Amino acid sequence: METKNFKHNDCLNFAPIDVAKGICRITNKTVFIDTPICPAFSELAKCRNCTHFVNSKQENMGICTGLEKENWTYANLVATTCAGYSKK
Amino acid sequence: MSTKKKLAEILASKGLSINFQSGGVAPPEMIDREINKKPTPRADKLRNIYYDTLSSANTEFPYWYTRKWNELEGEVTVVRRAESLKCAFSHLTPVIFPGEKLVMQKASYYRGSFPMPWLSEGFFVAKEDELYKDALERGSASSDELSKFGTGGGNVTESFGNVVSIAGKFGMRKEEIPILVKLAKMWVGKSVDDVGHKYEQMVPEYKMKENIMRTLICMFDSGFTLPQGREVINYYYPLQYGFDELKKMAEDCKSKVAGRADGDGLVGMDRLYFYEAVRIIIEGIQTWISNYAKEAKRLATTEKDSVQKSEYEEIADCLEWVAHHQPRTFREALQLSYIVHIGCLNEDAISGLSPGRLGQVLYPWFEQDMKAGKITENEVLELLELHRVKMTCIDCFASMGVVGGVLSGNTFNNLSIGGLTKDGLSATNPLEMLIVEAGITCATPQPTLSLLYDEKLPEEFLLKCIECDKTGTGYPAWMNNQGGIQFIMEQYGPEGMTISEARSFAIGGCLETSPCSWKELTLNGKKYSIPGGSGQPTSVGVHFIANPKVLELVLTNGKDHRTGIQVYPPHNHKLDTYEDLWYTFKMYYEMTCDCLTTTNNIQHDIWRRHNMSVFSSMLKPDCLDKGHHIGHLGYRYNGTYNIESCGTSNMTNSLVALKKLVYEDKKYTLDEMTTAILHNFGFENAEKIGSYSLADQVKLPNGDNYDDLYGDCLLAPKYGNDDPYADSILKEYEDWFCEMCHNYESLYAKPLYACQISVSTHGAQGRATLASADGRLAGTTYADGSMSAYPGTDKNGPYALFNSATVWDHTKSQNSQLNLKVHPSAINGIEGSKKLLELTRAYMRKGGFHIQYNIVDSKMLKDAQQTPETYRDLMVRVAGFTQYWCEIGKPIQDEVIARTEYEGVM
Repeated sequence: METKNFKHNDCLNFAPIDVAKGICRITNKTVFIDTPICPAFSELAKCRNCTHFVNSKQENMGICTGLEKENWTYANLVATTCAGYSKK
Repeated sequence: MSTKKKLAEILASKGLSINFQSGGVAPPEMIDREINKKPTPRADKLRNIYYDTLSSANTEFPYWYTRKWNELEGEVTVVRRAESLKCAFSHLTPVIFPGEKLVMQKASYYRGSFPMPWLSEGFFVAKEDELYKDALERGSASSDELSKFGTGGGNVTESFGNVVSIAGKFGMRKEEIPILVKLAKMWVGKSVDDVGHKYEQMVPEYKMKENIMRTLICMFDSGFTLPQGREVINYYYPLQYGFDELKKMAEDCKSKVAGRADGDGLVGMDRLYFYEAVRIIIEGIQTWISNYAKEAKRLATTEKDSVQKSEYEEIADCLEWVAHHQPRTFREALQLSYIVHIGCLNEDAISGLSPGRLGQVLYPWFEQDMKAGKITENEVLELLELHRVKMTCIDCFASMGVVGGVLSGNTFNNLSIGGLTKDGLSATNPLEMLIVEAGITCATPQPTLSLLYDEKLPEEFLLKCIECDKTGTGYPAWMNNQGGIQFIMEQYGPEGMTISEARSFAIGGCLETSPCSWKELTLNGKKYSIPGGSGQPTSVGVHFIANPKVLELVLTNGKDHRTGIQVYPPHNHKLDTYEDLWYTFKMYYEMTCDCLTTTNNIQHDIWRRHNMSVFSSMLKPDCLDKGHHIGHLGYRYNGTYNIESCGTSNMTNSLVALKKLVYEDKKYTLDEMTTAILHNFGFENAEKIGSYSLADQVKLPNGDNYDDLYGDCLLAPKYGNDDPYADSILKEYEDWFCEMCHNYESLYAKPLYACQISVSTHGAQGRATLASADGRLAGTTYADGSMSAYPGTDKNGPYALFNSATVWDHTKSQNSQLNLKVHPSAINGIEGSKKLLELTRAYMRKGGFHIQYNIVDSKMLKDAQQTPETYRDLMVRVAGFTQYWCEIGKPIQDEVIARTEYEGVM
């Protein structure tokens, strides 16, 4: 898996405390979002990795085709609770 | 060497030192507070995370809300709103932090919140954006410019790295900013702010209203900033029935009312839509809880630590149950009450949603669990500490002027203790003793505590509250229970309030006396009578009028010299008698109240049509019985709109000085006085000095022209000294103000009433006010509250202050507010505790409504201002609330430092 563009807040093991940092559930330590990720990285469900996220253009926005009605959405939206989510 | 002289130095050289100590002299060394206990390790760890957490916002909730709203164009509004809320709640990402027992939060972040562009969309975008400029133009963002946040703690006042500061306080990830702007622009012309603005301009006095907002004579519009709050929530229905049963009730009610007006041709048919909305919102809340339960299960399956694993399993079990049923245990009841609380806070922008008498509401579970040996007092204490941490994590997302200038970042989740039962007996119980203990062991701003003081409360409980006060946390505040009951009877008697029901009242927000009611709760066959909120918000109406500023504009013929705006029509009165001055003050004040009432009524009317609460409505009696939400008078008590004032002490002292120096002694003409005020008595503006405390103000070079006049202003009689000359002016004002408020009518056709708290507006509104005749200099902060003396002017001890404060009938107002700063050494030991209790009793017995203490050495506050990084956990009582020192703006910090410090309380 190509992970070079990922941040800690893209990881399933990350509990976000705030916009700068969170707790890594594996190490139980505080990590800053914008620091390099580790080999234990596990990708969190977001629109960007959903098969229904299409036509992604500027500023990471695109179209969601996975729910009843199509609508715009954005790549970084967490999708763990989305009924239409389908991993790419 | 600097030749600039500060006011304090000038006066000291003339033997006229401003007295910031009373009743003795403080010890030279810095004295810490006497009471200092520690929380349980679990609460300590979670509180420590909070200390290092930034206020953080994201766009998840607004995205899903907006998406569903747009999809449902054409749907009945209340149903459309319920579906949008359901969609947003159902998609909130569940995050559970290691070590938590009480879980869930407003947004995924530990201290998370989010904007609600459907209310107002202009204030949180970049200042260069046309939306923000438009907000400035119409006056709705004016308070932003004169509001300051503390730069410490969790406030994100500056952008850094990939974090952008929005609305002056909240951090948002840079990648979300385009989403935020896109969402904001989708609500242009549709938000409550925009639609309300369209119609408020049809009020003939609209232009005056806009000028009043731009000059900060009034602090904010309540209709689209904080449309709800300063009220008491009601947890009864979920606690009694559970959500499954409530959903079934809503379905049954739908069948009964579908297609039937039942004699109400106006809104009788609307009941169907309301019950449908209730069903929908319950499903949203249930899904939200269930998503957390699933997350707890997921974490349990991956957790390697056996203790943490079992705690995740307990959390899952608890959440799965309370998503559907009446709680079985104290822990479940506390968890459910907290979920309901943040559910309401996610539904609308709310500040001051008070849990009410939570210790009496949850007592049935506590009593039965303790009796059955299911829980120990230590376990309850730990849960209550965790509850404090979770409540402290609550942030309210609103504009900088509102969150900074009014709230100082506080959210006012005020928990009431004490008071009386339905039958008139002491209502306190052993759980309330633990609530106070948790307030001592785990000191946090939320929930702040308010004691409904009644002579029937046991001494042991009162001394426990004094012990808590001595921690220096500023809680519990002491409220006069009998006075509160009298106010409730007078204001809500016409809506059917009875004495026994009035006894259920509690404090909403800072110290807003709020109507409640009793409901019968059955747990395992045993019946209990529990209190809960039954009235509309009291955060609504005219908020806040700067009294000294109105007087300033009387002197300047209606023109604001700071901005150059002609706010009021020129009165052109000669003002050659005090009576004419007083008459003109009342005239301008009444014009202010009138145009703010009508314009705010329109904003709230748009709010109730487009943005009515559904979840809050279903919780409050008698919405489920009537089938009506808040906007259709579903609540039992609806006469909650009020007029809030600020700066009463400075206004009183200024009227006193004018009466004495101009009209009686005829030492100066009014023109001379006005000229001196316009020239700030020869002093530099506070803004340039960088301090908002009177003592720090600096004389201008060649600023000696007004020395004699200014000296006389400072020496004129002052409120707070048991001086009949000054106190009679206060009484005349209060008698008029409390009565005058009734002349205005809310959109619900109920009379307004007086509310006299300052929150933090005395900082921002002080910055907008020129010097005043009492000797206060331009831009400096007013005295806090309404009954607090201006710092350094109360020279005759606390009992003299009490006599001054109680020359009028406090039961004619929703509240009054008196804060005292007491040195810790003045009340040391058990004897000191008893002295403080006697002092408090004395004020209550004189008829004072509220008193609270900052028990702190002023030297510590000065040190904290210099080295804030070493005082992350220091809290102070500001006005009606407690806040972390480092998160308070400098104007308020300066004012708290300047308050008279009582070295003795006898």
